[in-house]
Amino acid sequence: MADDDTGSLVTAAAAGDKVAWQALVERFSAMVWSIARAYRLSRADAADVSQTTWLRLAENISKINNPERVGAWLATAVRRECLQNIRANARTVPTEDMALFDDVGADPNPVEAEVLRAESERENARRARIVWQALGRLPARCQQLLRVLMASPPPSYAEVAAALDLPVGSIGPTRARCLQRLRQELGVVSGIA
Amino acid sequence: MTNQPDDRTVEEEIRRAAARLDPVPPELMQAATDAFAFRDLDAELAELVFDSLLDADSATLVRSSGDRRMVSFKTAELTIDIEVSRTGSDRQVMGQIMPPGPATVEIRHRNGVSTVDADELGRFSSAELRAGPLSLRLRQAGQPGPVVVTDWVAI
Repeated sequence: MADDDTGSLVTAAAAGDKVAWQALVERFSAMVWSIARAYRLSRADAADVSQTTWLRLAENISKINNPERVGAWLATAVRRECLQNIRANARTVPTEDMALFDDVGADPNPVEAEVLRAESERENARRARIVWQALGRLPARCQQLLRVLMASPPPSYAEVAAALDLPVGSIGPTRARCLQRLRQELGVVSGIA
Repeated sequence: MTNQPDDRTVEEEIRRAAARLDPVPPELMQAATDAFAFRDLDAELAELVFDSLLDADSATLVRSSGDRRMVSFKTAELTIDIEVSRTGSDRQVMGQIMPPGPATVEIRHRNGVSTVDADELGRFSSAELRAGPLSLRLRQAGQPGPVVVTDWVAI
């Protein structure tokens, strides 16, 4: 996301504008979370890493060189925190292989149980799980890229490149290949829409 | 090549699945909002300049084996080195301020804020802390100039 107003939100927040800060949180929180989860951090570790990243942004916001590129700044900061987390854990506990898309047992949204009564909602939930399981059968690299790309609102390629330390030019082709793989996993294209 | 509308449809679907099955925890949204309140406009920021987990070469890593992690912060005048030790989910921080001297050190952490004193040699240590973000806010005794806050690290 390189919206024109991202830079002005950063400038306003640096001057103390809480509303501008809140707008930045809403714009980028899903991206920050998605990156942490793409590195296969547990939900607890991903929350620590995300919170630290937001604290770092608050502390450094008046020093950001390119305010309009704050998304890439955040993405780089989360990646760094993720690598720290992975290395710290590797030293102390045997790494449990955290599956990115296996956790389909419980729907974490508590209001879900209520809403599920609606037939269309039940169908949506069922469909989400099918997609989730299909994602889990993709190669690791695709899982990671798609987990970042599926943040809402979607991150820019520059942000994805910063998050995964990939050349910007490789994102588009890899994304296309991974989505193609996902479509194959999901079976026929017509079943998707 | 794949055509765009199909890609968009599939992407939209995985986006919906993520929002449903792996959403941003509400308490994290709150923590991100609250992060703004920790800014200290009058303080000087000590930037993170070294983290043994990321910056050490393999030889250094071998030497600092075990569960110790070294992190350094720097302003123009001060260096603050901390060593983080882990025991299960508990963390403890021992620190050294350079140039040495007594100081009041606020440890800003998930447990809240706890204040400890650094001795004449600039050494201080924390009680046991929970894993999570940490920053120090400190002022050396008898020194003019702004309070120093360190950048945040997850310990």
